[in-house]
Amino acid sequence: MPVLRMENVTVRYPGAPAAAISEISLTVEPGEGVALLGANGAGKTTLLRTAMALIRPASGRVEVAGRDTARLHPEDLADVAGYAFQNPEAQLFERTVRAEIAFGPRQLGWAAGDIAQVTSEMLEQFELTPSADNHPYDLPAPRRRIVALAATLASRPRLLLLDEPTAGLDRAGRLLVERAVSAARATGVAVMAVTHDGDLTVESLDRAVLLENGRITRSADALEVLGSTDDVPRLPAPAQLDRVLGLGAASPRRDAVAAALATRCRSRG
Amino acid sequence: MKGRPGIAGQAHPFTLFSVVAGVAALAFLLPAPTGPVLLYVTVVALAILTGAGASVARAALICLPLWVLLILLLAVGGDGARSAIGPVTVSRTGLEAALAQGARLGAVATASFVLFASFDPSRFLDAVAARGWSFHAAYLVVATLQAAPRFRQRAAAILEAQRARGLRFGGGPARRVRALLPLTAPLVLGMLSETDDRAMALETRGLDARASRTPLDPPMDRAADRVVRWSVAACVAAAALWRLHALGAF
Amino acid sequence: MATPAVALHLEGVTLRYGPDDTAPALADISTRVCAGEVTWLFGALGAGCSSLLLVAAGLAPRHTGGDLAGSVTALDADPHSPAGRAALAGRIGYVTAAPAAQLSGVAATVWEEVAFAPANLGWPIERIRAAVPRALARLGVGALHHRDPATLSGGELQRVVIAAMLVLEPGVWLLDEPASALDHAGRLALYEVLREEARRGAAVVIASEDADTLLGLADRMLLLDAGTVAVDGHPRDILAGNAAWQHRAGSTATAALARLAARLLEPVPSGLRPPYPLDIESAIERWR
Repeated sequence: MPVLRMENVTVRYPGAPAAAISEISLTVEPGEGVALLGANGAGKTTLLRTAMALIRPASGRVEVAGRDTARLHPEDLADVAGYAFQNPEAQLFERTVRAEIAFGPRQLGWAAGDIAQVTSEMLEQFELTPSADNHPYDLPAPRRRIVALAATLASRPRLLLLDEPTAGLDRAGRLLVERAVSAARATGVAVMAVTHDGDLTVESLDRAVLLENGRITRSADALEVLGSTDDVPRLPAPAQLDRVLGLGAASPRRDAVAAALATRCRSRG
Repeated sequence: MKGRPGIAGQAHPFTLFSVVAGVAALAFLLPAPTGPVLLYVTVVALAILTGAGASVARAALICLPLWVLLILLLAVGGDGARSAIGPVTVSRTGLEAALAQGARLGAVATASFVLFASFDPSRFLDAVAARGWSFHAAYLVVATLQAAPRFRQRAAAILEAQRARGLRFGGGPARRVRALLPLTAPLVLGMLSETDDRAMALETRGLDARASRTPLDPPMDRAADRVVRWSVAACVAAAALWRLHALGAF
Repeated sequence: MATPAVALHLEGVTLRYGPDDTAPALADISTRVCAGEVTWLFGALGAGCSSLLLVAAGLAPRHTGGDLAGSVTALDADPHSPAGRAALAGRIGYVTAAPAAQLSGVAATVWEEVAFAPANLGWPIERIRAAVPRALARLGVGALHHRDPATLSGGELQRVVIAAMLVLEPGVWLLDEPASALDHAGRLALYEVLREEARRGAAVVIASEDADTLLGLADRMLLLDAGTVAVDGHPRDILAGNAAWQHRAGSTATAALARLAARLLEPVPSGLRPPYPLDIESAIERWR
């Protein structure tokens, strides 16, 4: 059963001449990773927000983990879906990073032991253990975004909705996010991410959905969509090199391309 | 600099401020209850004539609960000789007091709403610069006022984010109180953090510079503006003298 | 040819945000930045790039809290003294990544936003009227001059913010990840403007992680680590070697790929040894 199913969803903002998104139909199965690509204003964030019941569609049906969201609020989906907002400062409020991560599970009524366990896991996975007892605002801005993502993942959602998860991050931070998304998918979490980051798309997601003027114009393998228009990110260097040099890598991801490159260079001495 | 549409929007920024200040002063100087009531009627008439009818309605809406309270407390619940109005009896002195206070409220509220509706921050700041007054001080006041819509947007974003994490704010009072911190703390922390960044940016853009600010396109101070301001001042002065005379000062 | 003037001079600068026992953000740093050059500050998060810019601008520790030791001179004035700050008004262009916090918040139009700083500095109105459209055009946002800043996208806003500094023609540019909110076209437009500024004689200091695009812009790189200058040299020389990796900073995507591949082999074949190819074209040449 798909974790997210949207059927003919149309969303209109009050007073707007055209619909923000029109007749959107898509499904995301457990373990799948979908990148939402397109120009600014194409409707990507609107689509994401509709999936979390932050907006009510004018028509169409949205189902999250089998639940019809028509009469639901975001807090009703918090046990199965997690949303990482574009502005992480919108959620940070606890006095320590540790407490911030524990907030979601606490709201959902988890047992104390489970809360403690998932908190340590998240602290370790996101390399936040040294800052566990710091105030989130004492951390530099890129690390705050990581804290917000860790807090979102702490509730162990089945559907992860991410809005520009790597924006403004340094290289180390981007790698942490890529690994966290891949790890979540490996445990069956479905991921849908609005992004302009070609690396994230290739490394951690597999499908790309292109939105233009509120409609889906392409839904295909990420490699086919990247670089196809000016409004989508270009193909990352490893994938480009694999193609141009004919390295024959097992996948366009940098580890696989590096392995193929190593093979070629070794045989050349 | 083009102002907002309507006569109030076209007036010089200082004119409206003088009018509001004048109305507030007259509201307390004029002898109750006829003074404030006439003042309120005059302000409403002027507002409607200058195309600011919506502000009249908005102000009345805000004042309504307070008017009801005044009537109940002072008129119905007041002491002294009573008159019958329909099925209820009201204290005559109480009714006069309620009318006076209600009219004062209405007059100041209406004038204020007209001001808010036509306030243009950059036009106001340009007027300050044209007079050579402290731009930095005026900027701080205006920027604080401008913070309100951003505050609301932020609060809405925070509410969404915390709801998406499972925060429920309905239910009993204890639960509602507990829900306050996740909603208010990000607001305060975010605003403080942005204030720091903005203060740095403003310094690099010369806000503290010793030079006097160049007005970019100062609003015209027409003869009509000056007439209005002087008339308001004259009315306030006359009312003040009248009041002093009535109090036996001379 | 005359030696270029020193636009920025830090001598023995130590900056601490916390009490004495915490690690300093800048540790006894000394460096000179010349006019007419683009200097690239490169380093991992926490290496000190942002702090160096803040100290050079005279904004830290005054706005951030903390303690500063050592001396800072920008355009022959001390940005940490009131007299120096007055002398430097409008001559230092400081730009950060997020546009929202850099706006005046009181401008009704983009034109007014860009005119904000010149007006504060008391420029005559004719000079402002001439300079504002020029600055907007150079950032490709001339058509937005009448728009309300609140209606612009993040990328458009950032261009306006940069134009608002460009209009002053500062002697020193201090930019902290200025292209973060910009798309690829915006990035290229910005870097072209910075190149022109350097040619005009300004000193441009830019902190950025964007190794791939900055490679073509910068003349000199200061590789920072733990608040000190670990390496001072030509960007290509530094990024093509292992130094950046040893100091926890990265490099270009192709160099990163080479290192990733090299880690899999022992001994490392010549194709994967430094100097690493820094862009796609050289990578194709090397590994064809």
